This record gives sequence, C-alpha cells and structure tokens, in this order.
Amino acid sequence: MIRVKGLSYYAGGKKLLDGISCVIRPGELTVILGPNGAGKSTLLRLLSGERKPDEGQVLFNETVLYSLSPRQLALRRAVLGQQYTMSLPFTCEEVVMMGRYPHYRDQPDSRDHAIVAEALSALGAGHLSRRLFNTLSGGEQQRVQLARVLAQLEEKDVKEAMSRFLLLDEPTANMDYLHQQICLRRAREFCRRGQTVVMVLHDLNLAAQLADRLLVLKEGRLVAEGGPRQLLGVEFIRDVYGLEAKIFYPEPGGFPVVITNLQSC
Amino acid sequence: MKKYGVRGLLILLLIVSLLVAAGMGAMVIRPIQVVAILLNKLGWSVASDSYTPAMSAVLLQIRLPRICLAVLTGSGLAIAGASLQGLFRNPLVDPGLIGISSGASLAAVAVIVLFSVLSPTGGLQGHYLLNLGTFCGACLSSILVFRFSRVEGKTMVATLLLAGLAINALCNALTGLITYTANNEQLRSISFWLMGSLGGATWTTVSSLLPFVVLPVWLLPREGRALNAYALGEMEALHTGVDIRWLKFRILLLATLSVGATVAVCGIIGFVGLIVPHILRSWTGSDHRRLLINSALAGAILLTLADVVSRTVIAPAELPIGIVTALLGTPVFIVLLYKQKKNLYNHNI
Repeated sequence: MIRVKGLSYYAGGKKLLDGISCVIRPGELTVILGPNGAGKSTLLRLLSGERKPDEGQVLFNETVLYSLSPRQLALRRAVLGQQYTMSLPFTCEEVVMMGRYPHYRDQPDSRDHAIVAEALSALGAGHLSRRLFNTLSGGEQQRVQLARVLAQLEEKDVKEAMSRFLLLDEPTANMDYLHQQICLRRAREFCRRGQTVVMVLHDLNLAAQLADRLLVLKEGRLVAEGGPRQLLGVEFIRDVYGLEAKIFYPEPGGFPVVITNLQSC
Repeated sequence: MKKYGVRGLLILLLIVSLLVAAGMGAMVIRPIQVVAILLNKLGWSVASDSYTPAMSAVLLQIRLPRICLAVLTGSGLAIAGASLQGLFRNPLVDPGLIGISSGASLAAVAVIVLFSVLSPTGGLQGHYLLNLGTFCGACLSSILVFRFSRVEGKTMVATLLLAGLAINALCNALTGLITYTANNEQLRSISFWLMGSLGGATWTTVSSLLPFVVLPVWLLPREGRALNAYALGEMEALHTGVDIRWLKFRILLLATLSVGATVAVCGIIGFVGLIVPHILRSWTGSDHRRLLINSALAGAILLTLADVVSRTVIAPAELPIGIVTALLGTPVFIVLLYKQKKNLYNHNI
C-alpha cells in the first residue's frame, strides 16, 4: 500500500505539487488523470523515489520510500518512462535482462532467462528478442521496455516474495490499438495478483475501461478521486479539461464511454 | 558459446602478437628463442646455445619493456574508451577526441617545466609526480566536457564534440605557451614526449605505469552491469537499482586515471579507445560485462602490433605510433559519425 501524506514539490520557484494526500491500495488499478502540466509526471517521479518531496512523505507498506537504497527500491518497484533512446546497440533480450539486474550478482540463472523470455512473449514481442533495440519502431520499443519493468518485478522464488509496485507513465503512447490492449491487460493482471499499479493515462476511455480508481490532478492539486463510474460525468470533464462531452453506458453496469464535442474547444 | 570463445581467441591473439613483437626488428629472434631466453631468465635452464647473448640483451633490455609498455598503454586506453563511451552513452567518445588526453598532456608539460621533472630519464618518483599531474589534467577536462555535453541527463553529441574541440584547442594553446617559456633541456624532454611514442620504454617507465593501468583494468569490468543499465538512461539506471552518482564518480576516476598515466608515459596516442570498442561491439554486442575486459585485451593486441609496424616499416627510423593509430582510427570515426547522422535523421522524422 502506498500512503502519500501532504506531498508538495517546488521547481524553479513554482509549486508543481501542492499538498497531495491519498492512499493507493494493492490490487486496485489506479490511474492518474489530468490536463497537461497538472503535475502527473512529477507525482510519479516522487512516487518512484527519483526525486524527494519538499514537504510531505511517501510510505510504502509503512516504510519511508526515501530511506531505501536504490537496490532495495529496485526490488520493490519498477518504472516505465515515456521515451527511450539508446545510442549503444543492445538487443531486446539484453534490454529486458537489465530489469533482472537487482536480482542476481554475477550471472543470470535459468530462471532469470525464463522470466525474460516470458515477459517478452507476454507482450507479443518474443520475435524481437534478438533484434537491436534502437532499430525498432516507437511502439515496439515501448513494449520491450514494459517487458523489462515487468521482468524487474518478477520474483525468483516464493521465499523472496514481497509486495511490489509498478509505475507507468503513459505506457500506451506510441502503440497500436491491439498492443495498447495487450499492455494494459498485462498491467491489470499484475495488479490482480495483489500488487500495486499506478499509471498516468490521457485517454479517458482507456482509463474508464481499465481503472478501479482515478486520481485527478489539476494545477498540482488532487481535485477528485474515485471510481470511473462515480467520477466521469459531463460536469467533471467540463471542470477539469474545459470540454463539453457526452457520456454513454453501452452496457448496463459496464464502464462509461466519453465522446467529446469538437465544437466546444 | 561465442561469448567465452571470443575472450579465448583474444588471449590467443595477444600471445601470438607478443611473440611477433618480440621477434621482429633489426635483430630477428624466433619465437622458440624468445621462449628459451625468458625461461632461462626465470631460472629454468634451457639449452642456451640456441640464441646469442646479444639476442638476450636486446630482448630483455629493449624489446620487452617496450612490449610491456604497449600492452599496458593499449589496454588502459581501450578500457578507458569503452567505459567512457558507456558513461557518455555514445560510441563516438574517445579520450583523445573529447579533450581528456590533451588536458593530461597540458598538465604534463606544466609539471615538466614548473618542477623540472625530466620525464624520460628521471627516476620513479619523478614519474609518479608526472602521473599525478596528468591525472589532475585529465580529471579536470573530463569533468568539464561531461558537464558541458549533458542536458537533462542526456548527452548532446554535437555539444560533446564541440566541447572536446574547444578543450583540445585551449590545451594545445596553453601547451604551446608553456613550451615557449621552457629552457633547452626542458624543451628536449617535452618534444620527445609530445610526439606520442613508446620509444622511451624502460623498466622504470613500465613500473611507473603499471599500477595506474592494472587498477582500472581490474576494477572497471565490475561496473559492466551498472553501465548497461546506464545505457537505458540515467533515471532508468536509478530505477533498476544503480547508485548513479557513485557510478559516474568511479568511471570518471578510473578512466581518467588510466588515460592520465598513459599520457604521462607515452604522450597522446589517439583513437585506440575508439577503434577497439567499435570493432568488439559489432562482433559481440554492447554488453559491458564482456566489452570492457575484451577491450583491454584487444587494445593490448592493437597497440603491440601497431608498435611493430611503427618501428619496422621505415626501419631504421621510427614512425610515431600515433600516426599508425590515427590512420586506422579516422576511418572508423567517420563511419561512426555517419551512422549517428542517420540515427539523428530517423529520430527527427
């Protein structure tokens, strides 16, 4: 469980995050929404332990996140960023194996190799394993990177099992429709195994389809939180994005579908 | 299979090139004679009628120190090049191109003139003082170029090369300025050493270089895994558990230690750090866990053979070894530049 307490963060004299408090539970897929510049990526950076907050604290299972060493942290959480450029030629297999680095000392064992192969094929990227990473398309690169972070959180045996969390910053940005769905499904499967998953998404419909819980940021503040059915409404979209939209429920009891009005912006 | 085969092959090639280097020159010594001389020297009596005493003297006093110097310099420069490329995340980086060598060289000239340390003939203490000076010079220029070329944790290739150019130009100008104030004796030792040559090899110079190359060659390969993760990006390395500040510090320290010490002894020998990792990458991939140690081996081979070329091709005169490595290295550099250009183009679309 991630417990965020009064988190504030300043950069260049500007308050990027302003007193954010929330609780993110395991097994409950959490999606951060909000317009550009709302502080979504900054919040993710603080949750990853990459930056320290100016005020407030982040606790993971009651341990202060910033008291953990990089390696201890790496065994507990993985992060998928938005974009990767590699100018040194590594194969995809090698890239995914980098996710296993915190787990072994000298040489990866057969279990590590198996985890890498599974992670790649689970994202429909098994055929890419021998290809050089920097020759792939943007969407393929993103899938390989997702395989890497999923491999990082795979435990070696049940003894070392601990609860872990996964942070994804717009994981589907460059992907085609099929692979968007595959990736989000893998993230949800990971979550359903009792782990914590937080992701930033822009697409309200993907968020509605996938999320158990939404955190909505605007101008560095947490303005709303709750389930998609509860939150996504005409008023809400007007408030947060300044857009007119219609909400449909294609299946009774299912997830909402948002259709925006192009004339309203 | 290929991973380990390559290392075995490199060790074999190194032994062969050592025997070739020991045997070639004005006096030809056959490999079997080389082995016999060495065994006798080590105290195992082998029939000594197969070689003349002159052969033994030439091998032990002239060729062997020179070969040792070539091996140390080659492996030191190559492993420094490979690890700096990992740190800058760019295969174009070479200690000579980005100004580290010229920073070291400037410091060496300053030490020679200010402290009157006569590098080729001075004792071990003088050499260590010179090493210290070049290390400081190398450190300073590598920190400068590292700071300059990076924007938000990413290395800007154009800025990197321009910063290297600027540091090279500045260091050369200052070196010229100091040379201008030097007296005759100092001038002779400066110019001897600025040419970039293994000609000054004695057992003293070899032992002055030894610790500064052995240490990086021993310690740098341990950073292989962290450097691999670093290739993903600085933050990504952090996320996979690498202490990045500590990593950067150690790589810069060890790489400049070895570059500084080789410059102190042999002057600037360019492109070794560029060619060797480039060839190995296209052969065995970028994994630094293999690349670094293989680079050290291949660098030793390259410089040993380049030295054979430099002292035999226009014998009895000597071609400066820097010319040989530059002739090999510039085409490689152009190929790399061309590849990067294509990459940049693809990214912009």
